[in-house]
Amino acid sequence: MNFRDALNSGKFVVTAEIGPPKGTDIKEMLHDAEMLKGKLDAVNVTDNQSAVMRINSLSICKILLDMGHEPILQVTCRDRNRIGLQSDLLGASVLGIKNVLCMTGDHPDAGDHKGAKAVYDIESVQLLRVVDSLNNGRDMMGNEMKGATDFFQGAVVTPEANPIEPQLMKFEKKVSAGAKFFQTQAIYDIDKFRDFMKHARKFSVKVLAGLVLLKSAGMANYMNKFVPGITVPPGLIEELKAAGKEKALDAGINIAARHIKQLRDEKICDGVHIMAIGAEDKVPLIMERAGLL
Amino acid sequence: MIITKKREHNDLMENIKNCNSLFLLGCSECATLCGTGGEPELRAMKEMLEAEGKRVTGTFVSKTGCQVLGTKVELKQFKDALAETDCILVMSCGAGTQTAVELFQDKPVYPANDSLFLGNMTRIQMFDERCSLCGKCILDKTGGICPVTACPKGLLNGPCGGTNNGKCEVSADIECAWVRIYNRLKRLDQLEDMKRIAEPKDWSAHKKPMSLNAREKKEEVEK
Ligand code: SF4
Ligand code: SF4
Repeated sequence: MNFRDALNSGKFVVTAEIGPPKGTDIKEMLHDAEMLKGKLDAVNVTDNQSAVMRINSLSICKILLDMGHEPILQVTCRDRNRIGLQSDLLGASVLGIKNVLCMTGDHPDAGDHKGAKAVYDIESVQLLRVVDSLNNGRDMMGNEMKGATDFFQGAVVTPEANPIEPQLMKFEKKVSAGAKFFQTQAIYDIDKFRDFMKHARKFSVKVLAGLVLLKSAGMANYMNKFVPGITVPPGLIEELKAAGKEKALDAGINIAARHIKQLRDEKICDGVHIMAIGAEDKVPLIMERAGLL
Repeated sequence: MIITKKREHNDLMENIKNCNSLFLLGCSECATLCGTGGEPELRAMKEMLEAEGKRVTGTFVSKTGCQVLGTKVELKQFKDALAETDCILVMSCGAGTQTAVELFQDKPVYPANDSLFLGNMTRIQMFDERCSLCGKCILDKTGGICPVTACPKGLLNGPCGGTNNGKCEVSADIECAWVRIYNRLKRLDQLEDMKRIAEPKDWSAHKKPMSLNAREKKEEVEK
């Protein structure tokens, strides 16, 4: 079953993230991808995440597709203008990529090429409209194309953004621009997330809760301090601390598994998106402990 | 106004290494307010150059350095000093420098300043960029705060996921433009403006080089 059908069938879907490496040695990434095969509803391939230059998302999506994965192409607006974006989307379509995740993208300032010219010719909401237009056989200028795309398009949202109101307004704009599914920024407070879902459920879109695997109390503290829109509650940090250095990752896996189980059992959202960030090989274990495998 | 800052000393000296004599041209408008091209700066530049063994044949702060004809008329009184000099050193913005380039076909003209942005002066010699001259203003839709300029990503449809307690993800020194816009629209009871999806910007309104003949337009109106 492809990703779109899985979501529409009401199945609790699981996706995970694969970050293309910097450089041409993709052995490790292929190994991780192999381990995840047959376990996920889709793999999400990042687009020069954190503005750090790496292999492009499209090539890796194609490799994963050929391996039998269902890839989600992440597309950011940071590096390409409207011509480049549309052209790459058409390219993705003819290569057989069916899912796209439209995002604005981290500023070059966050990455390893700080002097790069930030493009942002269009942004996430407008990109969603572009995809909708390509799906309808026209480019964004309304020019008729020979052959339309057939993308299942999604977007991102930060449920714990502060302040939240403008973020929710943007969420609604993304819905009306054609987003069919949403992947959230990492959430750790299920009760707070439930509040967000109350709002999101007013719209006919699917929502995958974002889960970043906690590897240590230090990492949790770091995210609290430096990553906007992510809050790890003190209780979870205590749990990681109590586990001790050696067992912290194991505790993180338990936390993720527990959250997935709760989200699914209580039908809070439509699925989860697991971001293991360098520990992709732990994804099957998380799923196993969540009772998904 | 156009915000300028003094060029690196070494860059400047490298530019003028083959010039024994210089004429200094400042500007009484923006460059004076920025402290880069008024009387005191010209005096300091003259002293510095003389200390470096150069000769300054004359100095003048033009009324408006980007005004070509006016500057030409003003400079008539310096005919001799200008004939004598090896080069012209312009202490205004890039536009003022190119006024001199147009007026002095046979002499090298060098910029003494780097031109940075169109700025608002918030206090004496403190400047903020609020408009980036995009060619098609959208302030009517954004509560009068320009996201093209104030948001490092130039987003048109609301904040990215990086807003952090109202600060921008790019720098904690920047207030998130979209949180400011949201707060202002809310205060004005105009949040509807933020709910409408903004179309991609038409950057052809900003095609370089721009020029405008306002005279022609006036005549059209008269007809
Ligand atoms: S939208 Fe912003 S950059 Fe464009 S003209 Fe208006 S203030 Fe200037
Ligand atoms: S945090 Fe606000 S100002 Fe900064 S890039 Fe995002 S939307 Fe723009």
